[in-house]
Amino acid sequence: MDKFSKKGIELNSESGIQEAIRRFFQDAEKIFDAVMLPMRVPAKDSYAWIMIKDREYLKDATPIAPIMPVNGAKALKRFTRKGEARLKVAALMRPCEIRAAVELTKLNQINLDDVILCSYDCPGALPMQDYISEPEAGEAKFQYLLDNDIWNSAEVKPVCRICDKFSLPASDLHFAIEQGKVIIIANSEKGAEILKDMNLPGAYLLENWDRSIQQIKQKRLAAKEQNFAETKNKIEGFEKLLETFSVCIGCHNCQSACPICYCRQCYFDSVTAKPNADVVMMKMEQRGGLTLPMDRIMFHTGRMAHMSLSCVSCGLCSDACPVDIPVAEIFSYVGSQTQQAFEYCAGESLGDALPMKEYKSDELSELKAILSDATAQEVADE
Amino acid sequence: MNKKNRSVLVVGAGIAGIQASLDLADLGLQVHLIEESASIGGRMPQLDKTFPTNDCSMCILAPKMSECARHPNIKIHIKTKLSAISGNPGDFLVKVIEEAKYVDPVKCVACGICESKCPVKTDDEFDMGLRKRGAISRYFLQSIPSEYTIDKTKCLYLTKGVCRICEKVCPAKAINYEDKDKEIELNVGAVILATGIDAFDPIGFGHFGYKSFKNVVTSLEFERMLSASGPLGGHVVRASDKKEPQKLAFIQCVGSRDESIDHNYCSAACCMFAIKEAIIAQEHMKGLQTAIFNMDIRAYGKDFDKYYEKAKNQYGVKFIKSKVSGITETEAGSLILKYVFENGEIHYSEFDMVVLSIGLQPRANIADLADKLEIKLNEYGFCRSDAFAPLQTTRDGIYVCGAVNGPRDIPESVTTASGAVAEAVKFLKLERQDMTPKEDAVPEKDVWGERPRIGAFVCHCGINIAGVVDVKSVAESARSLPNVEHAEDLMYACSQDCMNTIKERIKEHNLNRIIVAACTPRTHEPLFRETISEAGLNPYLFEMANIRDQCSWAHMNEPELATLKAKDLVTMGVAKARELTPLKRLPIEINPRALIIGGGLAGMTSAQSLAAAGYECYLLEKEDELGGNMRNIYFNFDKDPQKYLAELVADISGNELIHIYKNAKIDAVEGFVGNYKTTIAVKNNDKQEILEHGIIIVATGAEEHKTTEYLYGESSRIITQVEFEQMLHDQDFPKPKVKNVVMIQCVGSREEGKMYCSRVCCTKAVKNALNLKKKHPNVNIYVAYRDVRTYGFREKYYTELRDQGAMFVHYEPENKPQVKLIDDFDPDSKVNVTMFDPIMNREVVVEADLLILATAIDARKENIDLAKMLKISLNTDGMFLEAHVKLRPVDFATEGVFVAGLAHNPKDMDESITQAKAAASRGLTYLSKKSILAEGTITEVNEDRCTGCGYCEEICAYNAIAVDPEKEIAVINEALCKGCGACVASCRCSALNLRGFTNEQLFSVFDALELTN
Repeated sequence: MDKFSKKGIELNSESGIQEAIRRFFQDAEKIFDAVMLPMRVPAKDSYAWIMIKDREYLKDATPIAPIMPVNGAKALKRFTRKGEARLKVAALMRPCEIRAAVELTKLNQINLDDVILCSYDCPGALPMQDYISEPEAGEAKFQYLLDNDIWNSAEVKPVCRICDKFSLPASDLHFAIEQGKVIIIANSEKGAEILKDMNLPGAYLLENWDRSIQQIKQKRLAAKEQNFAETKNKIEGFEKLLETFSVCIGCHNCQSACPICYCRQCYFDSVTAKPNADVVMMKMEQRGGLTLPMDRIMFHTGRMAHMSLSCVSCGLCSDACPVDIPVAEIFSYVGSQTQQAFEYCAGESLGDALPMKEYKSDELSELKAILSDATAQEVADE
Repeated sequence: MNKKNRSVLVVGAGIAGIQASLDLADLGLQVHLIEESASIGGRMPQLDKTFPTNDCSMCILAPKMSECARHPNIKIHIKTKLSAISGNPGDFLVKVIEEAKYVDPVKCVACGICESKCPVKTDDEFDMGLRKRGAISRYFLQSIPSEYTIDKTKCLYLTKGVCRICEKVCPAKAINYEDKDKEIELNVGAVILATGIDAFDPIGFGHFGYKSFKNVVTSLEFERMLSASGPLGGHVVRASDKKEPQKLAFIQCVGSRDESIDHNYCSAACCMFAIKEAIIAQEHMKGLQTAIFNMDIRAYGKDFDKYYEKAKNQYGVKFIKSKVSGITETEAGSLILKYVFENGEIHYSEFDMVVLSIGLQPRANIADLADKLEIKLNEYGFCRSDAFAPLQTTRDGIYVCGAVNGPRDIPESVTTASGAVAEAVKFLKLERQDMTPKEDAVPEKDVWGERPRIGAFVCHCGINIAGVVDVKSVAESARSLPNVEHAEDLMYACSQDCMNTIKERIKEHNLNRIIVAACTPRTHEPLFRETISEAGLNPYLFEMANIRDQCSWAHMNEPELATLKAKDLVTMGVAKARELTPLKRLPIEINPRALIIGGGLAGMTSAQSLAAAGYECYLLEKEDELGGNMRNIYFNFDKDPQKYLAELVADISGNELIHIYKNAKIDAVEGFVGNYKTTIAVKNNDKQEILEHGIIIVATGAEEHKTTEYLYGESSRIITQVEFEQMLHDQDFPKPKVKNVVMIQCVGSREEGKMYCSRVCCTKAVKNALNLKKKHPNVNIYVAYRDVRTYGFREKYYTELRDQGAMFVHYEPENKPQVKLIDDFDPDSKVNVTMFDPIMNREVVVEADLLILATAIDARKENIDLAKMLKISLNTDGMFLEAHVKLRPVDFATEGVFVAGLAHNPKDMDESITQAKAAASRGLTYLSKKSILAEGTITEVNEDRCTGCGYCEEICAYNAIAVDPEKEIAVINEALCKGCGACVASCRCSALNLRGFTNEQLFSVFDALELTN
């Protein structure tokens, strides 16, 4: 924990966690010009991002939504990428969304100058399919998690179950949750300024909270290790990779849902990626037969090569997949490997240079070590 | 003077001679490069790796060698010696003797059959006798020129009149036993000597057992052993039993720093050479232990100390400060070293192999050469030059570079080479060159929209390719590929008649794309591109498949598979050729003026050199006086720096080509090579001024380290060396009676976070101490040092000071001298200095009347802002970072910007002068052109895909990309882009494409590869 977060301020949580957060934004009316947070859609079967100036709308908002239909970073990108914002906006998002926002900021897709990033201890999000099929059941399930302080639920999305970065991302303000209590923590200098201006009463010691967060983290890390081992087993080697993605229908939904896929036009949707008839025919003759369309694996591995260094494991790709490929777990696993190779963690801090922008003189020897390990592994395998 | 001549003679084709030739040729001058051996390249090709980057020596040199061979303004004469010179600067008549080669270079195709059949086997000089060669041979594999020559002292026919086998086997009929030595007369305006150095021969050093103990080798022999292309293939084994050594010792200063053999100088490069060999050897052999026996480790160059620390800490190389007095051999062939520490203790250690770090000495024939040229040599037998005219010989019009006038490493040799060019041009006629294509060039055929009609040519390269690969069947398979209209095999695609064949076939079959399957594009692509443009095709409609280096050479023992691979490579090449489009090279206008930032010694010298070549410059100085740091230097052994400085200031101040701006500061720099616009503000002058210029020389200097160590500032008796020099200069010194003087070296240098040597402080301490001794012979001088780094000829002064009784006390950074004021309340208090004396093995306390600190040279803080403005880089110490520490020591990666003087790294005055001249001559290679041509293979941006994330902008080493803030897309500066492709690889959005290597082209290559299998 850094210097800003040793102490927090307890918010009035008598009416529940959601209400405590709503009330905070109500009280902070003079500080932020607008607030961006989720709200249940009128049809009651999903959530949408809203940005509100009129605090009347706050009462209909759900600060901690049970699902994540669109990554908040994508919403943020819509109003910060181009031109200058006039207003100061507080954006309340899940930690993985904050990390996506940080990553996109480094890639010049978001401008955080007038944004105050607010995060909270995230219990995870429910899988979209589950929620949409029975929204009310989903609401009840999620409320149960919040009310009973459940942090390692099997109901949330698989990537949420193995998420160890569910608390205190690189936000300005963070809502810590400890047994039904909400404590606000200044998590940056910007955040500290705000809390100072608000002059809220009562300091709250965070030792117990921190301890419980660490415990949850340990459990999730263990789950992650196991999940990664399973994923590795599922996809390693070309045959298995092919098998895993064999059901892919090439809809590219995963790419549209991904906050990190920020390209204007995906290479795989471009003319360049569409081979000429003669090449297709030649390949067909060469191989004896072809599956069509033919760029299925190429698309996924290509996307992996392009974005795995920045993957924040938000899991939207899995939610978007109509044929239930565990895309999120695969990308999370691969992303953690590639990021490790660069000693990088996507979205963790604005200060860490993106991999490849930075050259370290020991990189070559590390690469040599990785390669020789790999060779040793191959020899051992044989 | 009436400058008429446009020719120069360069003697010696090592790295210095090559660099000098390239610079001269780029100025539009005609160069005659003469070389005694059978190839250009000099020492560098013999080296495996180079310090401190561990770059492969040949890999970085080869491009320069081929550039030299290709340059239309350079005429290479191998096996050629200078025999006489007459005339005056600007108009010399030189006679050179070109030895008979007995092989017609026009006919010889370097197939190598002759050597394989030659019955003579003699020691190969290139491999230090570790391999045998024939009497007919080529100097080394990548020799330039590549032709074979006959060694007349070894050839059986030429010595005994029998044999003539090579004549029979030569398929090109190139052997000519009747060849005679030829005398050639050359009229040149200036001469540059780059004859290099010899390595010391340790054969006379009996106590080291060289040549009598099998496992004692010289550092140069060891280098060949380490080299992957060397006689052992990089696998080091002992000569005695072919076993890998486990323990390896290096003995430093063999033939250096040794008065007994009249070598009272330091060879400058061997410490780093040994460290490099130790590191590389350890990388080759896991578990190898290495020890370097030395008196001092002289890692005084840029980033050398970091390399030294790495060797110590990361590789565990042991550095043993002692003198090896003898070696004995065990029965098993191992060697027992007897060595003596400073305190007289004697130790013995056993090693499996010993490497003698042999020193450098003048060429054996230098006296003879000096006689012919009527130039003088110095006391060590090197060419004589002056501290303030470091590149001049004693005869006007004849200049030196490389190690001719003193031992030096590679980057310094390169610097001296460019520097010597700036001297030579004083006597030559420079004309601004027009680089745009000549009007009489063949008009280019428009092939847009045409169906590809590919011509494929497969080269035998004698037996180089055809000896392994079935060339005819490769051509046959090429013929069957789609769009290939014509395919044939050629004996030597690069020979004149074959190039004519290619041109004819283009016309005959109306070809619009050409692929040649032969050697490497690195050496031959320019040649073929030129050929097809002579036939009216855009030069970029050419593709090359490397079926030699990457096929026949790599798979010598598997001819069938090699043939298959060659077919694949050709198929891939054809696929790429199918997608090729014509590219244009844009001309960039060059403004003929220079901007020099910094009016110290370096900046003024650059200005002087540019003006001497007839070019204008703006010289900016931030203070109200010119001179920079040199204003504080009063002594330089036998020369007077202040006198030189005054002359220099007077000279440039009176020159109408030099516009001096004092009290000036840069507000903004815009533009790129050839077209810079710099906004400056001059103090007390409200108006800003905009200067337009084509190049920039950064000569901003450095500053003295401000220390708080050793109680500096707490007593008037604790001063820096700079203050001490001032004191010595003031006549009234010393006011207080001085008995004991302590000097502490490395104050603020060579420490964590500042791991570099300030280079000049050891010499400065020695110089000031000698001056003090001259005035007050009875003063006791103690020098607390870590390594005494009086490199090169500076060693003499160190010896002199030691002889005069100065005490040198060694210390390690964890055991620094302790300093205490005798009276804490006295501002003029004397100082007690406690040092651990390793000689006496106990602490000594000296009551010092003066404590003199050798404070470091620090990079200027302003460098950071300037670097941003000029888009150039700094190293971790804040010094400006050159394009390549070895071979481009004065250029920046950003084209058109150069560095000189302390801004680059700490250095002595002669070195600053040299580098300043080098920067001027590198700058002149641009200024002397009306325009230059940008690359054709450059990156283009697909605006629909670019998201303006700026990833590419930060990755580009040439600062050729900037994101347009309005449009939010990346914009390529076509003048600066070098086509390296790093941005393309980094772009996540596939918005970038490298012309000539587009995604489409590369994918079609992959597809083709798949289809062949």
